[in-house]
Amino acid sequence: METKLLSQHYDKPEYVSLKGYLNLGGYEVLKRALKMEPKAIIDEVKASGLRGRGGAGFPTGTKWTFLPENGEPRYLLCNADEGEPGTFKDRIMLERAPHQLIEGMIISAFAVKSAKSYIYVRGEYQMCIRKLEKAIREAYDAGFLGKNILGSGFTHDMDVYSGAGAYICGEETGMISSLEGKKGQPKLKPPFPAVQGYLAKPTIVNNVETLAAVSLILRDGAAAYRKFGTEKSPGTKLFSVSGNVKKPGVYEVPLGYPLADLIQVECGGLDPGRRLKAVIPGGSSAPVLTAEEAMKATMDYECLQGMGTMLGSGAVIVIDDSNCMVDLLKVIMHFYHHESCGQCTPCREGTGWLHKIVHSIVSGEGRLQDVDLIPRVSRQMMGRTICALSDAAAMPAISFVEKFRDEFEFFVREGRSKVKGHLHA
Amino acid sequence: MPKVKLNGKEIEVKPGTMLIDAFKQAGEDIAHYCYHPGLPTAGVCRLCMVEIEGNPRMQIACNTVVTEGMSARNNSDKVKEAVRWGLNFHLINHPLDCPICDQAGECGLQDQYMKFGKYTPEMSEQKVKKRKVVSLGERVVLDSERCILCSRCVRFTSEITKTNELGIFNRGDHAEIGTFEDKPLNNNYSMNTVDICPVGALTSKDFRFRQRVWYLKDASSICTGCSTGCKIRVYYNEEGLFRIKPEHNPEVNGYWMCDKGRDIYKHVNPEARLQEARWGQVGNWQVKDIAEALREAGEAIRASVRDSHHSKVALVLTGQQTLEELTAAVKFFLSDLNSRDIYHWINNPEEMEKFDGLLFRGDRNPNTKGLLSLLASEKVSATWAQLEGKLNSHEIETLMVVGPEDPGVFPDLAAKLKLFAKAKRLVWLSSARVAAVDQVTTATWQIPLKSFFEKDGTLVNAQGRKQTLRKIATLIPAAVSVDQAVAVMSGREKAVPMGKFELNWKKTNFFVGERGSL
Amino acid sequence: MFELSREGIEFVKKEMTRYETKRSAVIPCLFRVQKENGGWVSPESIAYLAQLMDVPERWVQEVATFYTMFNKQPVGKYHVQVCCNISCAMAGGREMTDKICQSLGVEEGAVSKDRRYTVSRVECLGSCGTAPMMQVNDDYYENLSADKAVKILRELE
Repeated sequence: METKLLSQHYDKPEYVSLKGYLNLGGYEVLKRALKMEPKAIIDEVKASGLRGRGGAGFPTGTKWTFLPENGEPRYLLCNADEGEPGTFKDRIMLERAPHQLIEGMIISAFAVKSAKSYIYVRGEYQMCIRKLEKAIREAYDAGFLGKNILGSGFTHDMDVYSGAGAYICGEETGMISSLEGKKGQPKLKPPFPAVQGYLAKPTIVNNVETLAAVSLILRDGAAAYRKFGTEKSPGTKLFSVSGNVKKPGVYEVPLGYPLADLIQVECGGLDPGRRLKAVIPGGSSAPVLTAEEAMKATMDYECLQGMGTMLGSGAVIVIDDSNCMVDLLKVIMHFYHHESCGQCTPCREGTGWLHKIVHSIVSGEGRLQDVDLIPRVSRQMMGRTICALSDAAAMPAISFVEKFRDEFEFFVREGRSKVKGHLHA
Repeated sequence: MPKVKLNGKEIEVKPGTMLIDAFKQAGEDIAHYCYHPGLPTAGVCRLCMVEIEGNPRMQIACNTVVTEGMSARNNSDKVKEAVRWGLNFHLINHPLDCPICDQAGECGLQDQYMKFGKYTPEMSEQKVKKRKVVSLGERVVLDSERCILCSRCVRFTSEITKTNELGIFNRGDHAEIGTFEDKPLNNNYSMNTVDICPVGALTSKDFRFRQRVWYLKDASSICTGCSTGCKIRVYYNEEGLFRIKPEHNPEVNGYWMCDKGRDIYKHVNPEARLQEARWGQVGNWQVKDIAEALREAGEAIRASVRDSHHSKVALVLTGQQTLEELTAAVKFFLSDLNSRDIYHWINNPEEMEKFDGLLFRGDRNPNTKGLLSLLASEKVSATWAQLEGKLNSHEIETLMVVGPEDPGVFPDLAAKLKLFAKAKRLVWLSSARVAAVDQVTTATWQIPLKSFFEKDGTLVNAQGRKQTLRKIATLIPAAVSVDQAVAVMSGREKAVPMGKFELNWKKTNFFVGERGSL
Repeated sequence: MFELSREGIEFVKKEMTRYETKRSAVIPCLFRVQKENGGWVSPESIAYLAQLMDVPERWVQEVATFYTMFNKQPVGKYHVQVCCNISCAMAGGREMTDKICQSLGVEEGAVSKDRRYTVSRVECLGSCGTAPMMQVNDDYYENLSADKAVKILRELE
């Protein structure tokens, strides 16, 4: 069953405007939060067990404590560079509830003592940018932003920054580089952003959904938030479901929710006559699950990790038996080849190489040893680079070949897809 | 001082040392391309992988600061495999055009493949095509296909010269270094990008295709192109000198040198040199034995002093010779001739005090400081105006000039020679063959001097640092140093030790097993 | 010679002080240049912006060539970007791209003869639940079929 904590009012068009948001209880949490000690807010977020919703799932409260005690200026950046294939929940949040994010950000900024925040939105989301800019103006006019917010003595400025088309800017240090007006290339770590981030100043980067959830946690309390989800994955999460389901879309369910239910109940199942072949549970970077595995999976960090994959950004891509896995891997490898920023050699060269190998197979020019070469090359791309894009390309490649080896071998031997009726068959 | 254990070897390093430097200090091989001690860390080639005890993930040594008790290794199978694949990734799109590549023999890819690679390549697909033979201005040529995108050159132009010409454009495996719209990379430090390029992507227009590097010997020296006195490495063989690169000297030039300094080998090579002693004047020159020429010149100078109640000789010096040479000439005049007519020829007075903030100085002499301190200590205070007066009134009978080693930095050379010709006799000592000297209208001895490449001595740079020059080899057998010349001119010696052409080795002896650019 | 309009120059000046560093303004200003240059950034316009902002040309050039939203070639009045990433590919995005090109008589990536269209295949645009989709200039069109897409494109102003 859907559990709409964040998305409770997403179906109400008036929620976009300040007036509508206020009528539905908006900015009440901010008023309360500004009367709290910043540390108490951080403690509450820590107690809630909230984990970053962008992909890595790092505990948010812990991340905040990495900031040095003092040191001004410090920045809060909202990562709205949603680019992981299969993911579209942030877009829904920005389009339908810009004030929810802004409120969460002001509270978070207050907690981490930041006087300036940016929302970095992927450049293609022009509509979201316009809505956010309008909402920020409204928030300034209402005294929720700017000097001495609501008489609390806390001053905070917020701005929107548009990306320009680069998946890698979703990586937090790539985003920082981009915000600095450079190519969005990830920065060497250490130092970590909390110590030296934007303009080498302490910086916290959080995902849209994470920041929005902060006000929810303060509204109901950590204990109430923990009633949803599992011990290690508390709360609810927005899942973007796409692919071969009847009703794709964004669904908010408690973490730990069965994947089978998400597909069958929320999304209305597959098209008639189709069988489930595979599910990518956490965006295209996540290793694929076979139908059998998918039916046993629950949507939380620990279960998916246990199955060798990950929750990622919560992008569920449902794949039925009309699809050729070799063809889909080619699409995925094209993506990572296209998006590698090019600075680290194993990623720059590896993503291109993997794409070429899969392309050769799909073109009927594959060699039998290529089927093994894919995972071999992939393994050498993992854990070798500045950021995780290289791993993100390697993981699906390994899982596709290992779990659907027969399709790859068939393609190499026959020069065509094993899937009857497929484009490449 | 932190103690660390590297591949089981225990060493002590300075606090703050990077792990990669610690490995080098311990004498342990560590693969790398992008790391350069003179540049900010990029951490992109991912080759200097190490396993650090207590850390499950491999780390790059170039971005890891050594801590007390750290134990790291890069000789485990895990690291070796990672490095082997790292090289594999570097090479899959590299054109492997070593036979026509100038970097061959000193290429980081070749060296490290032999040391850490030796795998069988497995990529059967087409390589990425990129631009070749792109001219980047007067000195540098770019081959993008060879480039491994280590970003050293880009970091150099953004962080060292701050001129920002070079960038990496596009992304992924289509990324290419270059300048905006192929604008020329004509800053005075452009050749450092060639030096630090670990592969054959950036090559020198001046040097390329002129010699295979394994046919070159090399030796350390001091740049004489200006008063900074950068430490350099000279590359040469029996055909002469071919190129000059900087050598690390933290006190003077760090890792770099300027482009102008690269050219100093050109006036050292035999074709630019005064090869034998000569006597005569315009239209009538005879070759002389060097000792005979020096005896005659010395006799003429001494006669001008002996036969006169006041000094009819003068000595002109430049900041181009070593302190030992200048001292010998000054002593000759002060002691032997009892003359204080010693003058400093300043070749470019307007430029003398200029400095570009990095290395290059307007004073294009390696030893002006040495000369000035010598003259000061001997209380020689004659002015150039006094010399002009004496020459114009024909008071000078015999004028001795220790002329430039590099005539190129003496824009006033022809004008000054006209002035010098007002003396009745001229003793001209110079390593360079100067066409204007052949045109002088007064009786002249031309004495060939040794160049910086051929002599020992001391140079005092603009900071006042005494730097020692070491003889590398002899190119011009007849050439003498100023002190050798003075010894004969003063009558103390009858002959000079005859130099021997010393570059007469067989090419095969020059093979240099490994000359990396890392 | 490319030059920004007076408003464009005002915009650049404002952006240069909007962020903590001038360099941050490179991306927004380049968007402005692209808009005023007919949808793409030419070398000339890059040089112009670098001079206007007093920053090295390579800063602007690196940005222009790194991000896909900056077009390095001229584009038609309508830049049609069809997502062909996984969810869209599964929903026929690739076939839709071919169909659009065929119907409009334009080669992928090129400008149509009437200068109205450029059709490009692009990566995920965050519209996976409403696949296939296309972006025409700033606007998204979702839940498409090839026929629907062609119809929309033909009917554009």
